[in-house]
Amino acid sequence: MNKIVFGKYLPLNSPIHHLDPRAKILAMLVMLVAVFMPAGWYGYIVIAIILSIVTMIAKIKFSYIYRSFKPMMMMVIFLLIINILSFKEGVLLLDLGFLTVYSNALFQTFYIAVRLILMIMITTLLTFTTKPLDLTLGIEYVLGPFTRFGLPTHEIAMIISIALRFIPTIIEETMRIMNSQKSRGVDFEEGKLKEKVMAIVSLIVPLFSVAFQRADELANAMEARGYVPGEERTRYKQLKYTKNDFILLAGSFLVLAMVIVLAFVI
Amino acid sequence: MPIEFKELSYVYDEGMPFAHHALNKIDLAIEEGIVTAIVGKTGSGKSTMIEHLNALLLPSEGSLKILDHTIIAKEKNTNLKALRQKVGLVFQFSEYQLFEETIIKDVSFGPKNFGASEEEAVLKAKEALKLVGLDESYYERSPLNLSGGQKRRVAIAGILAMDPSIIVLDEPTAGLDPKGASEMMSIFKTLNKDYQKTIILVTHDNELVYDFADEVVLLDGGEVKAKLKCEDFFSDQTLIDTYKIVLPKIVALRNMLKEKGFKGLDEVRDIEELVERVVDFE
Ligand SMILES: Nc1ncnc2c1ncn2[C@@H]1O[C@H](COP(=O)(O)OP(=O)(O)O)[C@@H](O)[C@H]1O
Ligand SMILES: [Mg+2]
Repeated sequence: MNKIVFGKYLPLNSPIHHLDPRAKILAMLVMLVAVFMPAGWYGYIVIAIILSIVTMIAKIKFSYIYRSFKPMMMMVIFLLIINILSFKEGVLLLDLGFLTVYSNALFQTFYIAVRLILMIMITTLLTFTTKPLDLTLGIEYVLGPFTRFGLPTHEIAMIISIALRFIPTIIEETMRIMNSQKSRGVDFEEGKLKEKVMAIVSLIVPLFSVAFQRADELANAMEARGYVPGEERTRYKQLKYTKNDFILLAGSFLVLAMVIVLAFVI
Repeated sequence: MPIEFKELSYVYDEGMPFAHHALNKIDLAIEEGIVTAIVGKTGSGKSTMIEHLNALLLPSEGSLKILDHTIIAKEKNTNLKALRQKVGLVFQFSEYQLFEETIIKDVSFGPKNFGASEEEAVLKAKEALKLVGLDESYYERSPLNLSGGQKRRVAIAGILAMDPSIIVLDEPTAGLDPKGASEMMSIFKTLNKDYQKTIILVTHDNELVYDFADEVVLLDGGEVKAKLKCEDFFSDQTLIDTYKIVLPKIVALRNMLKEKGFKGLDEVRDIEELVERVVDFE
């Protein structure tokens, strides 16, 4: 459980860490759009190289990025099976009689896997280098224009920030309850179906009970400190764009433009 | 020795930039049949250390012997479940582990996991509940709407029902009032005296340490700084000064009287007796 890195913040000191969260969120959105363009291999290679450079500037070891791919492996394998069963074009690679594998199935899976990897790389780069609170603040600003259409941006940002804030707490509680139940002889890894179900129940019930308790306490603490949803609030921390933020935004739009050219013009 | 730590180190998040060395080359032996208190300030590694005792954490380096099990760092360790039955670990705020509809079901959950039949498990549960002072009227109640102190008793009964030979308690009295804490401790005293259980107690309440422990282990910065008989621990002036140890009230009072010239008060643990001795002095 401690091995989960996806969504974590890595407290390092790098130019990327100091960028404005709004700029980072916008750049992430632009890059995600770029990944969705059918730009072909050249496009993806360029995006991968640029992301690797950003990773290096952010002083993040590639092994952490790699670790966040791991949960995705199951998905890729599943995809591969579906593709093998459905794609029957290209070169015949393997013929087992009941099962035939064509090159296009592998090719398609690889293509989607590369896109997934790039998307995960983009989002983990954001969470690795941005403090949860800054992220919330950034989200609130980015959503700002939608206030006009009645979107409760402040509330949404508050909900996201509380959710982010509680992820580590909930993970901690989960670990603690798991440990308590392991001490009582629960085996979370092995066991028959009935034992497995019991193991999950022994984890879920206390977890819900704790989560509701925590939520209740938090609500009381917020009310006691005069929090009123929808009320005008001032901020201690003011966001300011710097030169680097513009470089990041310009860079990401440049990538998007390049990918569009690759996809639709050439 | 039933428990032996040998050069045991533990690192949280090994290999990450926020890796944390929580235990550093621990060498420690804990005797059977006595109450050993583990003390030290918050973050000194007490919880980390005791989670090794039933293999919830496995050492990053070194080894650990518990009864007839040996756990060696980086080797494949099997049969951990058997170990967990012999070492009952009661967590800090153990009340969070309750989940069954009725108290009797929750308490018999442990023994059933370790292979006891339904009847055996219920029998053990009833015995354990009696030990923690909860009578039949509680059996069919939900454990989730009891008071905090009662919940903790149920949780502890859940461990006792497994009939472990070593009982490890992490801050069992945290959040209880002094009366509740003292009642809780008498349960463990009974388990030690009448049932010959080995007890390992983590606490930062030195009053409890003085009242109940035979041996004291002091942890600081993930290292064992001292292991002494309880009486010796609280009279070791260098240790007390170095680690700013808060003396139990009766020891502090004895020290004051000693300074005023009263003699022969060493090892008097009872306040009434102390008063008598002082009155009879001359
Ligand atoms: N799950 C964890 N991940 C990372 N560090 C931890 C974890 N649990 C404890 N630590 C760290 O290890 C050290 C020892 O913690 P702990 O054993 O809980 O101390 P104690 O019980 O004496 O208060 C502390 O500095 C703590 O921050
Ligand atoms: Mg602790």
